Amino acid sequence: MKWSLPALAALLLFYPFILTGPFYWDIGVAFLLAAISASAWNIVGGYAGQVSVGHSMFFGVGAYTPLLFYHLWGLPPVAGVPAGMLVSLALAVAIGMPTFRLQGHYFSMATIAVAELIRIFVGTWDLVGAAIGLQGPAVGRAWWDLTFRSELPYYYIFLAVLAVVLYTTFEVERSRFGYYLRAIKAGERAARSLGVPVRATKLKALMLSAVFTSVAGSLYSIKTGFIDPESGFGILVSVQMVIVAALGGAATLFGPLIGALLLVPLQTATNTWFGGGGSGLTYILYGGIIVLLARFEPGGMHEWWQHVAPRLMRRSHAA
Amino acid sequence: MLLSAQNISKAFGSFLAVRGADLAVAEGEIIGLIGPNGAGKSTFFNCLAGDTVPTTGRVLFDGIDVTRASAEAHARAGIGRTFQVPATFEDMTVLENVMVGAFLRHHHRGAARETALRIVEMTGLTRQSAQRARSLGTPGRKRLEIARVLATGPRLMLLDEALAGLTPTELQQAIALVRRIHELGITLVIVEHIMEVIMTLAQRVLVFNQGHVIAHGKPREVVANEAVIEAYLGRGHRRRRREAS
Amino acid sequence: MLLAQVIVGGLLLGAIYALFSSGLTLIWGMMNFINFAHGEFVMLGMYVALLVVVWLGGGPATFGFAAAFALFVLGVIVYASLIRHVMRGPMLAQILSTFGLALLLRYTAFWIFSANFVSLPQVSLSGTLNVGGILMPVPQLVAGVAAIALTLGLHLLLTRTTVGSQLLAVAEDRNAAMLMGIRPDRMQALAWGLAAGSAGIAGALMAVSYPWSPSVGETFGLTAFVVVTLGGFGSVPGAMYAGLIIGLIQALSAYWLGPIYKDIVVYALFAALLWLRPQGLMGKA
Repeated sequence: MKWSLPALAALLLFYPFILTGPFYWDIGVAFLLAAISASAWNIVGGYAGQVSVGHSMFFGVGAYTPLLFYHLWGLPPVAGVPAGMLVSLALAVAIGMPTFRLQGHYFSMATIAVAELIRIFVGTWDLVGAAIGLQGPAVGRAWWDLTFRSELPYYYIFLAVLAVVLYTTFEVERSRFGYYLRAIKAGERAARSLGVPVRATKLKALMLSAVFTSVAGSLYSIKTGFIDPESGFGILVSVQMVIVAALGGAATLFGPLIGALLLVPLQTATNTWFGGGGSGLTYILYGGIIVLLARFEPGGMHEWWQHVAPRLMRRSHAA
Repeated sequence: MLLSAQNISKAFGSFLAVRGADLAVAEGEIIGLIGPNGAGKSTFFNCLAGDTVPTTGRVLFDGIDVTRASAEAHARAGIGRTFQVPATFEDMTVLENVMVGAFLRHHHRGAARETALRIVEMTGLTRQSAQRARSLGTPGRKRLEIARVLATGPRLMLLDEALAGLTPTELQQAIALVRRIHELGITLVIVEHIMEVIMTLAQRVLVFNQGHVIAHGKPREVVANEAVIEAYLGRGHRRRRREAS
Repeated sequence: MLLAQVIVGGLLLGAIYALFSSGLTLIWGMMNFINFAHGEFVMLGMYVALLVVVWLGGGPATFGFAAAFALFVLGVIVYASLIRHVMRGPMLAQILSTFGLALLLRYTAFWIFSANFVSLPQVSLSGTLNVGGILMPVPQLVAGVAAIALTLGLHLLLTRTTVGSQLLAVAEDRNAAMLMGIRPDRMQALAWGLAAGSAGIAGALMAVSYPWSPSVGETFGLTAFVVVTLGGFGSVPGAMYAGLIIGLIQALSAYWLGPIYKDIVVYALFAALLWLRPQGLMGKA
């Protein structure tokens, strides 16, 4: 166990040299992006137990602002990243303030409704490209436009961001804030009686989560150089975050990594097997996985493994 | 007076659960609240804990009006409470449960952990400290709730049937624990059905019936009171275990 | 005159919103559970109607009944195989269960029926009625009136019958109901059947006048959230008034602002409600 963390770090660092070529690098980048987004979701959806099903709103905001900065003022897309973080922060406050006074279900409903509202609205708003969306610089003017022909630089940029998100989560887990989140998830009334400022703590978690999700969106749009309402604010963006985190194990540090490790190759496989028309099947599969998870293993693969691993160990000892 | 509740009434729709109850608690006292089911003591208790805002009357803690303050603010001010049905954080370990309480006065993990360890030891939970709360039985959870509140550094503790459902040995240990808490200088208000607990611990007793305080005084005097025998021991005795909040 | 016609059209559509939203509010009120797949139930009701018309040549009464029955059965199955197991589990499992179900149903429908819009072939209902200069298409009129009648019927079922009082008893206090000899599991299965069935028949009623594709489920699901929030969670009469109001608001915003804005206005109203009056119009403060 002691070596698992350095081993994981080394594996992620050297992955592009172990499996070389654009195909594997592309999967690596997709894996990192899924892991970053799901880790960001995990802070509020996992640790605080406030299940957002509309996190695409933060992803979309983060994805749109860089390309909007380029589109409107010709600025390098990176310049729009902090603006996206700020807008996401404001959005988090606007949603969290009213809904965190109410039962947990309200928050879930509000997130999906607001995400839809924004998706439809952005689709009609000419300034942000309406239904067509926005494009980034076709050819990079300089290195700061971050348009690389190879996947490799993106891989390492994404990896660095993942490291920041995971380190932050690790610190949160150990801090008073993290204990408070888990207490709130376990029982709000009891938490309150111990002096936990329940609403403020939930709001803080949502804000932190929103900012990281926004960064994930920015990474996505800067890399692809293109964004439209569906790929930014679509419900499937939210779904992917939830399913990756829940599959690997919500409210665990490495759960989202495990989830992304399982889901991203699966997605690549179904897309390859079924071609362009396979996306529908992918989502049937997603729906099926989510239902089965909820029914049989709400703790995710993490918990399942904790049940199974000791049994396997015992069996191998017996043999 | 450390705590002073004046003319507290609470209505749920047209039903008056508490009608003009008064209570004054001096620092260092142990007060018992008793009464049959539905007598209003739990509602009154929740008004003291900041869980319910009374319809009329006010609650002063250390001279400050806390009537409308939130439950969090009550905890910060130094009023801690336990729940009739234990509300421990099931997926967290015993030590982590207590640390949540300790974090109220200590911002850093190390300090909170130190306080929590000390309190876990004092409440006799050291052996279970790494277990998840869900693995404890009801007596263990009630004890854990007391530990968690203790870790918030309260001046006043409100115990809601914290000693119910214990075996005679466990009961003796729990009574000893309450005494030790009292020796730390913490004032206590306890809701309890077990007369033995009230008789041995409480210095003064308030008896509720149908929303009113019908008797008030030393335990010996109160149990001799005609109205109390009529209201409490006469009717409510058999159903005492099924008191709903 | 045109405005009056818009208002009538909005109210008629709102009546159908009222019908399927009362199913959602019933489940919420009884079990404190949100069904994210409710809109998909409506969508399935529409396809059931289509299949009955195309394959069996059934008329409005037939496909309406078929949609209600098929979805009632689906509702019971969903309850028995999924909801029963997650309803007292962690919040994440509660929300994921129906959220995943919604995706499963929606994309299975995409796969089977494709993303193209379809509509019912001409059925026996047609023509328009001229009431004081307001032109009302007969299909919409019949559907709207039927929806109101069914919503009222559901309300009466809940408030005036033995089954209804048993359902409410389970909602009030599961354990007490059990002591009274009511089997909560059966009652909750029935509630899911009724909720899904009302969504199914609402879908069939809508299919008469509007074309649709598998993606309408998402829109209807969100519309039902807004209606239920406005009407107050758990209140069938609340859902009825709120459904009519939402139908009206949609029609007016489509008329004044343009059709694209009708959903934006409704979702924005939802966001505003959460800030200002989360307990709904009829809910207690």
